[in-house]
Amino acid sequence: MTATGINEAEKIDVSVKGAALAAANAGKFDQLPIYDRAIECSSRERIRAIQLEKLIAQVEWTYERVEWYRRKMDEMGVKPSDIRTLEDVRKLPFTDKSALRDTFPYGLFAVPLDEVVELHASSGTTGKPIVVGYNDHDMDVWSDCIARLSQMAGVVPSDRVQMAFGYGMFTGGFGLHYGLQKLGCMMIPAGSGNTERQIQMIQDYGTTVLVATPTYALHICEVGERMGYDWATSTLRVGLFGGEPCPPGLKQEIESRMHIVCTDNYGLTEVMGPGVSGECLANRDMQHIAEDHFLWEVVDPETGVPVPEGEMGELVLTPLDKQAIPVLRYRTHDLTRVVTDKCACGRTHARMQKVRSRSDDMLIIRGTNVFPSQVEDVLTSIEGVTPHYRIIVEEVDGLDRMTVQTEIKPETFSDSFEEMDRFRALVAEKLKSVLLVGVRVQLIEPGGIERTTGKAKHVEDRRK
Amino acid sequence: MSVPQISVFLESRPGHLRRILDAFVEADINVRGFSASDTGDYGVVRFIVDDANRANEVLKAMGCATAVSEVLCLRLPDRPGELARVMGIIAERDLNVLYTYSLISTYIAVCVKDIPHAEEILRDEPVELADSKDIAARLDGIA
Repeated sequence: MTATGINEAEKIDVSVKGAALAAANAGKFDQLPIYDRAIECSSRERIRAIQLEKLIAQVEWTYERVEWYRRKMDEMGVKPSDIRTLEDVRKLPFTDKSALRDTFPYGLFAVPLDEVVELHASSGTTGKPIVVGYNDHDMDVWSDCIARLSQMAGVVPSDRVQMAFGYGMFTGGFGLHYGLQKLGCMMIPAGSGNTERQIQMIQDYGTTVLVATPTYALHICEVGERMGYDWATSTLRVGLFGGEPCPPGLKQEIESRMHIVCTDNYGLTEVMGPGVSGECLANRDMQHIAEDHFLWEVVDPETGVPVPEGEMGELVLTPLDKQAIPVLRYRTHDLTRVVTDKCACGRTHARMQKVRSRSDDMLIIRGTNVFPSQVEDVLTSIEGVTPHYRIIVEEVDGLDRMTVQTEIKPETFSDSFEEMDRFRALVAEKLKSVLLVGVRVQLIEPGGIERTTGKAKHVEDRRK
Repeated sequence: MSVPQISVFLESRPGHLRRILDAFVEADINVRGFSASDTGDYGVVRFIVDDANRANEVLKAMGCATAVSEVLCLRLPDRPGELARVMGIIAERDLNVLYTYSLISTYIAVCVKDIPHAEEILRDEPVELADSKDIAARLDGIA
């Protein structure tokens, strides 16, 4: 201890493997980096003031420049001048995916295309893709959001970041790339796929941060283990995940097997891309929303009416700083809850619970609502199976039948059909107790469920 | 006197058994007998090989779910009625056969719950038990 009472030895170097998580677990959040302390830790009053000022300007910007919104607001009898408080956002029209699809490609753009510096798109499962554009200002905001969430995970400018997202039209690759570069990191644009080469690159370049979907990260982990690569002594320290939801069990598994700390973030192409919210190390199930850039609402997915703070509902987002393609009250279809109390990490921005299910990925099995995330939760609680699974829904003799394919761990196997059947029955029993509907369980050999380099496709609905 | 057996958990799909066999070829492992059974969704393939430990290592390295266990191996004279005679003895002594398969028709692998107990019982019966060495001596060099 020095005379000032500050123990110099306590200064933590977060670039050391394991240090950031250890500091967080010890409650030493003052030792962890915050990218923009003035904004991220400002008072709730100040945040609301920033939001209101930006909301008024954003609505004006949108009304003046985008005919689609002008017509919509005129039909509803709403003028930009009607927006005087944050709650007045409820007077504005909702925007759905269809608005972007119907105006493909440039119908919602608010700036001349000369001013647009980048285009991204999300592949639509039906019809035209969703196309979004960014001007210089939008790119700055985006990078800002990414730099913040990277530092929440303990990423520092000296880090070497291997990007194992695909680049291309997908927002994840370039979005993370620019933001991490803005932070000062050395980017290694590996792209997705060629797993053995990914591991070779980690070794050759001394990669410290891996950006990937959690499913692909686990695959990299498994391939590395098979190659005899020692993750415990690897330079890799942080995993930044995205592209798909990361259930807690999967994250824990990757953290313990790869000896890294993993966080994931939330975002969607329609409102920007990744970076709308990010996970700090204080509460691993919550993500701080960049509230100076996004106004959030949580509504009842059926009625569109806001639910009380802290309750589950559909997340609705209004970007507050989006110039090239402004979007008002975007219906995400993602189910979450948002709280505004102060976080132990020191940040004051509201936190949303990690999105585990979407209002539109709900399956109805013989009249019962089932979310794939429930299946995921049950499976991750069972010792003998891996986090890989698939759900197949089909109609058999006029009835819905749901089959859950789950991969067993090598050590679960016993040379007895009796024991394997008992294990299968146990898995089925556990699933039924949570889903409240009977499912068929199929045990699959280790590695038998296809690994993807992008988003894992967990559900195959063969009905209709 | 029993012999080691390797069981592999495999999905019943084209190419899955082939993958295992290719790995055995690669590692120069000789398969002396095998049986594949299935429950519709998945299958268990059981092998008796010349080097069970090494075969198991090969499969583990591939990430396979495997189990090594012991089975009895009985040698039958090659004449009519031998299988009936041997199974008759096993039935009379109240041993329950969990599964059985033949290596070549005159060597059959038999799995029961309690291998040492079964060995004890069969020792004094007119059946010939074989161990890995016997199988090797008999089968090595036979095309």
